[in-house]
Amino acid sequence: MSATVPDVLSPETAAESEKMTATRSPRHLVASITLLVIGVALIYPLIDVIISSFRSQGTGPFTLQYWRAVFQQIPVWREVGMSALVTGASVAGVLVVSVPAGYAYAKLSFRGARAIFGITVACMMIPVESMIIPEYSNLAKVGLVGSVLGTVLVFVGLGIPLSVFLMASYFKSLPDALLESGLVDGAGHLRIFLSVMLPLALPAVVTIGVLEFLAVWNDLLIALLFLPIQSQTIAVGLAALQGNHILNTYVLVAGSVLSAIPPMIVYMLFQRHLVAGLTMGVHR
Amino acid sequence: MAAITLEHVTKIYPNGFEAVHKLSLDVADGEFMVLVGPSGCGKTTALRMVAGLEDITDGTLHIGDRVMNEVSPRDRDIAMVFQNYALYPHMTVAENIGFALKLRKFPKSEIRRKVEEAASLLGLTESLDRKPGQLSGGQRQRVAMGRAIVREPSAFLMDEPLSNLDAKLRVQMRAEVARIQRRLGVATLYVTHDQVEAMTMGDRVAVISAGVLQQCDVPQALYDHPSNLFVASFLGSPGMNLFEGSVGEDAAYVLIGTQRIDLPGTLHESRPALRRYANERVVVGLRPEDLLMPGGEHDQAAMGWAPFECDVELVEALGSELLVHFTSDARAVQVAEVENDDSQGLDQGTLTKGGEGVARADARARIGGGDRVRFYIDPHRLHFFDVETKAAISA
Repeated sequence: MSATVPDVLSPETAAESEKMTATRSPRHLVASITLLVIGVALIYPLIDVIISSFRSQGTGPFTLQYWRAVFQQIPVWREVGMSALVTGASVAGVLVVSVPAGYAYAKLSFRGARAIFGITVACMMIPVESMIIPEYSNLAKVGLVGSVLGTVLVFVGLGIPLSVFLMASYFKSLPDALLESGLVDGAGHLRIFLSVMLPLALPAVVTIGVLEFLAVWNDLLIALLFLPIQSQTIAVGLAALQGNHILNTYVLVAGSVLSAIPPMIVYMLFQRHLVAGLTMGVHR
Repeated sequence: MAAITLEHVTKIYPNGFEAVHKLSLDVADGEFMVLVGPSGCGKTTALRMVAGLEDITDGTLHIGDRVMNEVSPRDRDIAMVFQNYALYPHMTVAENIGFALKLRKFPKSEIRRKVEEAASLLGLTESLDRKPGQLSGGQRQRVAMGRAIVREPSAFLMDEPLSNLDAKLRVQMRAEVARIQRRLGVATLYVTHDQVEAMTMGDRVAVISAGVLQQCDVPQALYDHPSNLFVASFLGSPGMNLFEGSVGEDAAYVLIGTQRIDLPGTLHESRPALRRYANERVVVGLRPEDLLMPGGEHDQAAMGWAPFECDVELVEALGSELLVHFTSDARAVQVAEVENDDSQGLDQGTLTKGGEGVARADARARIGGGDRVRFYIDPHRLHFFDVETKAAISA
């Protein structure tokens, strides 16, 4: 067996050994333990809920009775389908508006840009609850109360301020030289947006998409108020479990786990981009 | 016909700051024109106006025979190399280089051929499938060059393209960029703050200070005949020694501190204006290489050269030569390179008390700190400048 001699001159080797020292340092150990504790604290309730939904009275032997009960008591497939439709349309709507808008605010100078951007961003500070009645009367004027389209419009409207703000910040972090380079190369603004800026902004687009997905999927208030009775989302369906039937906590638990599956899938699919998007502009 | 012509081009920003003042310049077909000046002097703004990335407040810009003031960058038929390269991070090297061709709807096979051609010229063939993030600084710089040359534009614009490279690579790329430009024969406007780059690369060099063109000429002419104090002090490394001097009766001699240098009749023939400065103060300029150590193959005194005595403070050995930092009883003049509203672009020269200066000496000269040295000066190599206008006293 020949012993490997570390190449002291190679920068890679130097960087590697530095990394290893960092891994073993006491500070790193403390950080790791702290993160582990936080991680366990966050994931424990979730695992506990999942397990409870499969056990009689939450602690007894294995059973599927609560899951069966969910499917018996509410039209699960229809409601999940409705949630998917409303959520998908809202996410699409928010992205279609806020991505180009964020780009425009960040990279194009036009009259009144700052004022409009300021107003848009200020809207983030208005509580949703205070906008419900005006929104309702607006929709009533155009006859969209109790329609899927109207509900989606409300979700899109509520999602835009934060999304535009995040997109604009992200586009601002991309160097202007890329835009200028595109212009000199012979591209118009639309081509630069589609071919240069949008691919680079993908992490932010994904982040906004996931945030909006979670917000709409889990929403109760707006869906309850604006959607027609016969086509409700799963969130509203779960709430109905409490009201219209004899409450069984474990049925509700099973229903919650069920409705949490799609967001978890979405999260896992886009996890990598999401991390990049949430640290927007930190590393370039 | 010039490839690029600027006529009284002016840039005033909305806040009232005038970045470029009535710049007139023409770049001939195939010419390598360097814009050089300290940072903030307006040279990059001038370049960006040519590119169409900044509006022109006043004046006219021609590229070829077309007025380009209102033409969008994409229609100017120019290619630009940016300071930070501005490569598209998500595209491979080949896609980066071919992007402009793709936009112009070139057939795929032709794009490929042109990209490969450019890549081989730049030694990038191996890297065509990599992304910019995987390349070294020098390679990225080459990709940026490749992106410009593949288009075969009517002009190249380069904005400090070498400033992000380390010193050694910069010297190497300096020659390479110049070589490629000569080979392609495309008119080039090149911006730098590095006077060595300017001197070595440019067919002609335009020196800019505070938004005003100071002088535009071939490098050697700028070096030998700077038109004012700014150009004199900006070009050359180390820069020209500038001392306060006073011209004597009939301009027969000049006093630098207490040391008298006789001015021969031949000097007056070449610079008749000097007579008007009899009994007046001037700024006297001396290149470091024009202060010669005694000895060698010439008898300087016999040739009419004047002695100039100073105290050596410090000697820097560069291997090939020595830089001798000295003090004399003259008052040194420093030209501030700061931007200001002075239309001449020159701040008031500030006087320092020590009379510091630098001379180049042979690497084998025996000289050390604390020595008193007698240099010899050929009076014909002296530069004279007006104290008030800062202009060279020549004709």
